[in-house]
Amino acid sequence: MSAAVTAPASGAPAASRGILLILLLPGLVALIITFLLPLLWLLRASFASSAVGALSGGDWTLEAYTTVLFDPFYWRVAWNTLVVGFNVAIFAVILSYPIALFLVRTQSRFRGVLTALAVAPLLTSSVVRTYGWMVILGDRGVINSTLQSLSLTDGVIRLTNNSFGATVALIEILMPYAILAMLSGFGRLNVQLEEAAAMLGASRLKVFTRIVLPLSLPGVLTAALLVFVLAISAFVTPRLMGGGRVFVLGTEVFNEATVTLNWPLAAALSVMLLVLFSSIILLYQRALRALEV
Amino acid sequence: MADHHVIIDNLVKTYPGAQKPSVDHVSFSLPRGEMLALLGPSGCGKTTILRMIAGLIAPSSGAIRLDGRDVSAIPVYKRNMGMVFQAYALFPHMTVAENISFGLEMRKVGRAEREERVRKALDLVKLAGFGERKVSQLSGGQQQRAAIARSLVIEPELLLLDEPLSNLDAKLRDEMRDEIRDIQARTGVTAIFVTHDQDEALSMADRLAVMSAGKLEQIGTPLDIFDRPQTHFVASFIGAGTFFEGRVAGPGLAEVDGLPLLHFAGEAAIGSSIKLMVRPHRLLLAGEPGQPNSFSGVVEHIVYRGQILTLSVRCGSRVLQADLPTHAGVLPKKGDNVTLTVAPDDVTLIGREAA
Ligand SMILES: Nc1ncnc2c1ncn2[C@@H]1O[C@H](COP(=O)(O)OP(=O)(O)O)[C@@H](O)[C@H]1O
Ligand SMILES: [Mg+2]
Repeated sequence: MSAAVTAPASGAPAASRGILLILLLPGLVALIITFLLPLLWLLRASFASSAVGALSGGDWTLEAYTTVLFDPFYWRVAWNTLVVGFNVAIFAVILSYPIALFLVRTQSRFRGVLTALAVAPLLTSSVVRTYGWMVILGDRGVINSTLQSLSLTDGVIRLTNNSFGATVALIEILMPYAILAMLSGFGRLNVQLEEAAAMLGASRLKVFTRIVLPLSLPGVLTAALLVFVLAISAFVTPRLMGGGRVFVLGTEVFNEATVTLNWPLAAALSVMLLVLFSSIILLYQRALRALEV
Repeated sequence: MADHHVIIDNLVKTYPGAQKPSVDHVSFSLPRGEMLALLGPSGCGKTTILRMIAGLIAPSSGAIRLDGRDVSAIPVYKRNMGMVFQAYALFPHMTVAENISFGLEMRKVGRAEREERVRKALDLVKLAGFGERKVSQLSGGQQQRAAIARSLVIEPELLLLDEPLSNLDAKLRDEMRDEIRDIQARTGVTAIFVTHDQDEALSMADRLAVMSAGKLEQIGTPLDIFDRPQTHFVASFIGAGTFFEGRVAGPGLAEVDGLPLLHFAGEAAIGSSIKLMVRPHRLLLAGEPGQPNSFSGVVEHIVYRGQILTLSVRCGSRVLQADLPTHAGVLPKKGDNVTLTVAPDDVTLIGREAA
């Protein structure tokens, strides 16, 4: 992404650099208005003492950050968020990997259709899909009523209103993103490399572990990052599937901003989320460089 | 034949959904240590044959025998054959040495022996010192060498090369031609290589198998194929030539439209229809009008090619192609009247052994 911006810089004649700047200008302005300014305002708000202060400027204080850093509740929230994020990322990637691999390798003429089907869930809102999961996993949902009518269980098995339900729903909701990320990240896979390995004596298992897996790792990593980032910033699904009993950064930001109206705290929590993002992305880039040299 | 190292026996391949077989009852065999070229136009089924031999695809019918043993049921990874792919197919996430070492690892060769054999393989293809490089840091020619080293280090029963030179530029191609020939001779490995380039096939192979539309047309030494083509396809695919349809008028004599009686070598029943061919370099500028196999005409067209001059000479209703060496004294010009001649031995009867 950044390569597109920096690539033509050195060596490009001055005139074409001017044209490049002009071409970049609309995007730049849009980014400043929709991203940079709100971000600065968010930072400012996190240092305010009240919602009013967050809006109007006024005094600076570290109050919100002391709350976030010294209240064990928010440490638990951060921890919950990470756990949900990792679980969702790991399972979404594991479940998406065979699908993406199949879609990349298939010779079928339905490949385009199959790919579209795999990412078709993106066409429906994640709210709708979350409600779908509530119908399946709820106390009177499909699973519980089936188990009960078969007399396999007496009571209700709690599958919603906890982080299990939130995690399951997030995995399914984010899988299309994982598949898309993998499809674009599997560029180095090539059937001929697999054939070459087989000719050299590699069994199917060896071909997978020595050729396919290493070559697909960059795509897997990208997918994991994308899903993780989307999972830790998710709000609707943890809120609905958690039934108010799952506390993650997304739900807490919403709470502080709309229920308790503690905007500085909401802003500080958002900043915390941003710090999490950035450290993860740094790690990701390190790993990618190590993989691709 | 029966004691040949590699025997391809009535191989047929019809791809699913295809109307006609891509490979149609092809049989040939190679003695140990031979280099055979599978030659034919693009799409005639060469790669398909190679992939069946390798075990990458299953034949529809027919057998592949190594030392008399049918290997059709042996999976690709146990066949112990080396393959050099057209695009090399080097593993991009490994160094050159790791690429070459891969086959040895799969065979559970110990580390010390592996390193030794990789070093020798690198020496063989003149890549000593390149082992630690990434594949992407090699030039096209070097990647080709690495691919050859990788397929030879496992000491394969049979080396298969699919258009090994087609991705190289002209100069490198000539160099690698000699090199591959040399490596093959030194290792003594039996090899089959696929090409659509007749020069490549003629200069590299011990024998050529010429294919057309899934069928084997002729198999033989470069000399056989060039001088004694069995079919019109082989004669026209390999080298240039002027073709004549004719009727046998007497022993070694043919009536051909628009030309005097043609003397040719070979036996054919009087009255039968035959096909004759004259290679351009067999036509000489020495004939006297009226002598046997002399054709007088006007130079219609001249192409200068450095060492040779290609003339198109109109003799009556026919145009003859003649290649003259450019050092041969005074050269004809466009519009000149010339007389060409050809020895009866050099008028090839297509489809039959010359006498
Ligand atoms: N995987 C395949 N599926 C269907 N048809 C194929 C396949 N591979 C090759 N063919 C067909 O088989 C014929 C021979 O192909 P190929 O062996 O690649 O020819 P060559 O290597 O001589 O150029 C061609 O007509 C090609 O279209
Ligand atoms: Mg081919």
